[in-house]
Amino acid sequence: MKLAPVDYVILALYFAFVLGIGWRLRKRISSSGDFLMSGRSVPVWITSLAFIAANLGAVELIGMAASGAKYGIMTAHFYWLGAIPAMLFMGIFMMPFYYGSKARSVPEYLKMRFDEKTRAFNAFSFAIMTIFSSGISMYALGLLLHLVLGWSFDVSVLASAAIVLAYTFLGGLTSAIYNEVLQFLLIVMGFAPLAILSVNKAGGWQGMVSRLADRPNMFHAWRYLGSPTENPMGVEIFGMVAGLGFVLSFGYWCTNFLVVQRAMAADSMSAARRTPLIGTLPKMFLPFIVIMPGIAALVLSKMHLGYDFPLKATGGPDYDQALTTLMAQFYPAGLLGVGMTGLMASFMSGMAGNVTAFNTVFTYDIYQSYIRPGAPDRHYLTVGRVTTVVGVLLSIAAAYVATRYNNIMDLLQLVFGCVNAPLFATFLLGMFWKRTTAHGAFSGLTLGTLAAVLTLSSTTAEGKGGWIANLYTFPSQMAQNFWIAIIAFTTCLVISIAVSMFTTPRTDKDMEGLVYGLTKVPHDATAKWYQRPAPLTVIVVILLFILNIWFR
Amino acid sequence: MDLRVPSGWFFTLVGLILLGMGLFAPHMGAAPLTTENVNLYSGACMLVFGLFLLLMAWRAAHPGKGSNP
Repeated sequence: MKLAPVDYVILALYFAFVLGIGWRLRKRISSSGDFLMSGRSVPVWITSLAFIAANLGAVELIGMAASGAKYGIMTAHFYWLGAIPAMLFMGIFMMPFYYGSKARSVPEYLKMRFDEKTRAFNAFSFAIMTIFSSGISMYALGLLLHLVLGWSFDVSVLASAAIVLAYTFLGGLTSAIYNEVLQFLLIVMGFAPLAILSVNKAGGWQGMVSRLADRPNMFHAWRYLGSPTENPMGVEIFGMVAGLGFVLSFGYWCTNFLVVQRAMAADSMSAARRTPLIGTLPKMFLPFIVIMPGIAALVLSKMHLGYDFPLKATGGPDYDQALTTLMAQFYPAGLLGVGMTGLMASFMSGMAGNVTAFNTVFTYDIYQSYIRPGAPDRHYLTVGRVTTVVGVLLSIAAAYVATRYNNIMDLLQLVFGCVNAPLFATFLLGMFWKRTTAHGAFSGLTLGTLAAVLTLSSTTAEGKGGWIANLYTFPSQMAQNFWIAIIAFTTCLVISIAVSMFTTPRTDKDMEGLVYGLTKVPHDATAKWYQRPAPLTVIVVILLFILNIWFR
Repeated sequence: MDLRVPSGWFFTLVGLILLGMGLFAPHMGAAPLTTENVNLYSGACMLVFGLFLLLMAWRAAHPGKGSNP
């Protein structure tokens, strides 16, 4: 594929706007709070879109189309079974504690609710995770631009990293959030035409179903979940609902500071609670843009139109190229530039999201807590800025670690399985059971994470894992990831409860604003109906049921 | 800064570029699998979206002055 001059004009125009936004916002930064937390002053429609855009990185965009081609519409479970219910839970039940506690980060909430060691554990593991996520995103983009456009891997990675660094360095979290929204709009605008064109060409939904008549399990999200052998993902219903739907998704959307941070930047408690709730509405329909083209690519490759499904150099389908090869087939010069810019935009929003979460956690939870407490705020602002640079450099290093795995989505899930899954159990207990003690939380969290690592080391799937022993072979990496999450979560839950029973809890007075039952949850009785969480949730749940039943 | 202003301008400009491509160079760099004038339709959509954002931003900045920019 070759880009025309007009495509480069669009790309350059976009970079100019992104940097311009960063430049305009630089004057808003006068304290570390402005830089790392947006001074809690961002309008709710912006935080809502940033909330989902920070997650819509290049990995998700490429990975979802890849999974669409590999697993079919079951991939939508990442949205309709996973993300949406978790986002609702987060807005309704968890946000009052995050926003109300005045914590500046998720690890800081753990410090307030439990103790220093629990915070330290989470801060360090989160810092490592953000760097890896950012690195994987960077790797995905660099590889793709190299394969598709013949650009040098190093140059495309370094150039986009430099732009992300420039605007996050200038305008901090606000700049990252504002650009994430522009990026989100561009991704939707740039990829919606591809979904429409490719699905139409493949004969619409019914046409795709009839053309892949030998693989009906590609078109049902629920029907073939009875046994792992029946569906392409190799997962059964319990692993899907408990592993992905409950543990992994709730772990990610409710405890990952990367997304929580966007909601915490909102200008009021009510806006912070509405952030994930409003975010569910566009999120719910993203599968049509990101998953459908993958399925269409598979169908088109069987229609003898001159389009062949991309192959790896070693043979076998290269799912990660499904999206870009389709763009080459459907986009003329001009829109191709918009699509490519959208792809780079997704990379940038993913990376900026990780870097801005990393610098906040490092500055407040590691540097201010353990390295140099009690310095003037100016000092922490400088540290925040320096950490932004360091975060970008570390991500570049992590990009090379990612080269060892073929399906990047699976690796990401693997990382989340070790960090987020047990953490969700800790938060569930910490926020809703006041008897939970600091020692209980800490031992549960560490042993839960250890359980995840041990499970990964002693089982295999698709030839990976099993470094210590091979006690069990999962039918797919997805199944392995889901079960690691279930095991880590359960271990954390059981250990935390057991240890809490034998240790002394804190007094009720110490936990006001931190635990359910000891916190006044605001009731927005005077707000208009669409500004209240309950009616918004009812609408989302109804839509969610319709989608799940439609594609059952 | 009202984010609708830069976003609105961005999509207006990109919309105009695509619309121009669709009108004046409909066969340039045409895509193998489609005969539609893809640039024309997408450009029109983006232009409308960009202008809509600018209108919303203008209304927010000038309350009570009617709805036309």
